[in-house]
Amino acid sequence: MTNNVRGPTSALTEFLRELGINHALIQRRGQRWQQQQAEAGPSNASTNANQDITNEEEQGGLPDSLTGEAAPDSDHLDSEEEVTTGKKRKLSKAALERQKASAKKKAKKNDDEDYKDNEEDAYTAKSLRENKSTNPKPSIGSLQKCSRCSKQFTMTKYTMAANPPPGYLCHSCAKSSGADPFKKPAAPRKRKSAAEKRTITNFQERKLPTLVFLCIKVISQHINDVEAFGDIGSVNLDRIVRALCRNRSLTPENATLFYDVRNKNINIYDGTRLEPPALTTLALLNPNLTSLRIDFCGHLNNAVLDSWSTSLPALTRVELLGPFLVRVPAWISFFRSHPGLKGFLLHQSPRFDLECMSALVTHCSRITELRLKEIGKLDDTFLPHISSLKYLEQLDLSSPGASCSDDSVISVLKERGAQLTHLDLSCHNELGDDFLKRGILAYTPHLVSLKLDNLPSLTDEGVAAFFHAWTPSVLSTLSIARAHDVGSHALPALLDCAWSTLSTLNINAWRDTTVESLVNIAKAQELRTLDIGWNRAVDNFVIKAILDGCPKLEEIKCWGCNRVTAECPRKLNVNLHGVESSVYVDAY
Amino acid sequence: MSSQQQQGDDWIRITSKDGFSFVVKRNVALRSGTLRNMLDEHNFAEAVQKVCPVDERAAVTEKFVEYLAYKASYENANPNEEIPDFGERIAPEIALELCV
Repeated sequence: MTNNVRGPTSALTEFLRELGINHALIQRRGQRWQQQQAEAGPSNASTNANQDITNEEEQGGLPDSLTGEAAPDSDHLDSEEEVTTGKKRKLSKAALERQKASAKKKAKKNDDEDYKDNEEDAYTAKSLRENKSTNPKPSIGSLQKCSRCSKQFTMTKYTMAANPPPGYLCHSCAKSSGADPFKKPAAPRKRKSAAEKRTITNFQERKLPTLVFLCIKVISQHINDVEAFGDIGSVNLDRIVRALCRNRSLTPENATLFYDVRNKNINIYDGTRLEPPALTTLALLNPNLTSLRIDFCGHLNNAVLDSWSTSLPALTRVELLGPFLVRVPAWISFFRSHPGLKGFLLHQSPRFDLECMSALVTHCSRITELRLKEIGKLDDTFLPHISSLKYLEQLDLSSPGASCSDDSVISVLKERGAQLTHLDLSCHNELGDDFLKRGILAYTPHLVSLKLDNLPSLTDEGVAAFFHAWTPSVLSTLSIARAHDVGSHALPALLDCAWSTLSTLNINAWRDTTVESLVNIAKAQELRTLDIGWNRAVDNFVIKAILDGCPKLEEIKCWGCNRVTAECPRKLNVNLHGVESSVYVDAY
Repeated sequence: MSSQQQQGDDWIRITSKDGFSFVVKRNVALRSGTLRNMLDEHNFAEAVQKVCPVDERAAVTEKFVEYLAYKASYENANPNEEIPDFGERIAPEIALELCV
């Protein structure tokens, strides 16, 4: 019976609502007016009552409950709204009760209901009051006069209100007006469906926990009872760390499982949930660590690094991904307390600046492995410091904030190139063919790994000339991805240069390579992983040739090679990633 | 694929590293992503022979199969139905191995 939807309202109603004029206000005002009238003289009031009666007689079909009560004053007769509010006033007792009930209902509601829901309910409640109080349906079974044909009829459940409003229609008039009296009101049904929807969402939230999740819970519960796990070898320990990190569920509680005084080496692949106290604990419980790696160590701050300065005296290699919070003084004191540091691998730190770099060089002169990847402040001024590291063997300066210049990188290679084994200068977009010739070709004969991804100024001829001239002794990893203009000449030269030792090759996005040169990759007998994504010429035959030719192959990535189809040949123990149409095959 | 296979009503054998084997209905085995991949590809030996080797010792494999059965029976359960906690059935001794 209740109508929860507030229908279209007249401009006046809307206007009054905006001004905050409600029926209580009008009621008060009406009472004041009546008092004034009574003071003025009784004759006026009696005319008012008379007027009221005539008014009702004119309307004819007003419900029983309304007759015989005082109507609104003549002041407000001109507006429909005022009439309504007048009616409201008569019903104020019932309305009040309803209001109370709805308030109770609201109070019972949970706090977690979202804002939108609340708002919706608030609206509903309001319209409920209005509609109910304006249309009090006479009780079923009572006799009524039809407002159209003026015949008497009995009220039933299906009796419809006349439109325009005053009064009710008898069954035949209701039918003839085109409306179906037996039609169920639409609004309640809508409401129901909303409720159903809500229960469905609740149902979907109930998902069975995964086995891994359950296991981690059990492990965390029994973490203090280390005996229950039995003796765990270091290999298994690493597997467990990986499993926990993969689910981002390495917490301060279960991390203690991996701590031991005898530990020399800890790798944490996801330290997102390790907060500063936990990281301090790590150092205190593993005082003999020589190598420490923490990925996603966003919680690492100055205080933790300061505690490491004292509690990890034996540390020689530290690898951190994302220590954003550590500031310059903390880095400097860390370097000062670890003069024996041999490996410093830092990935993503916006605060690491020239001062830190000079402190690193001053205090840790025995660095052999240096990574400053995605360091925003890295620029040419860092490079003289780097070249003064006498024992440097592995250097990674990829993805800097701004590219270093040709000449300054070459000067580093001139100093340290002879002993360098690993070099990564990806994303230094100022480096081009000239750098290859004057830098790498001239000074780095012993490179094992060379990564020069995303150097857009490389040209096909320049790279080809470089590989023709270069004779690296043990190059095993080569990555020159995303060099769009390199291809048809450079690839044969590359293979001639390094085919015998190459185990990892990435020539992603070498757009113009030819089938003939790609097939030649097959002669690289040591090849294990290969990325030939976005090489347009790669097709099933190229894949087949490579699979047949490289006995040690483990992985091929061929994303974006449209000519490779689902029918392309496979080989046991070789993962082939990025075959486009195989997605559709799997779907069947 | 026969109709029996489509209904998940035929039997699959899951073998452990140390020679034990567990026979379960196909629709139970399919609760595991790994086993599903093994069984779905038509030309895999596992799919043809209906035998899936699991590289774990028997105790762990048994618990794994038990979980699959648990998942199969409660995955589509009524929302108001009480779902027992599987965590109670995992012995802490094998939890780590199960996790890996």
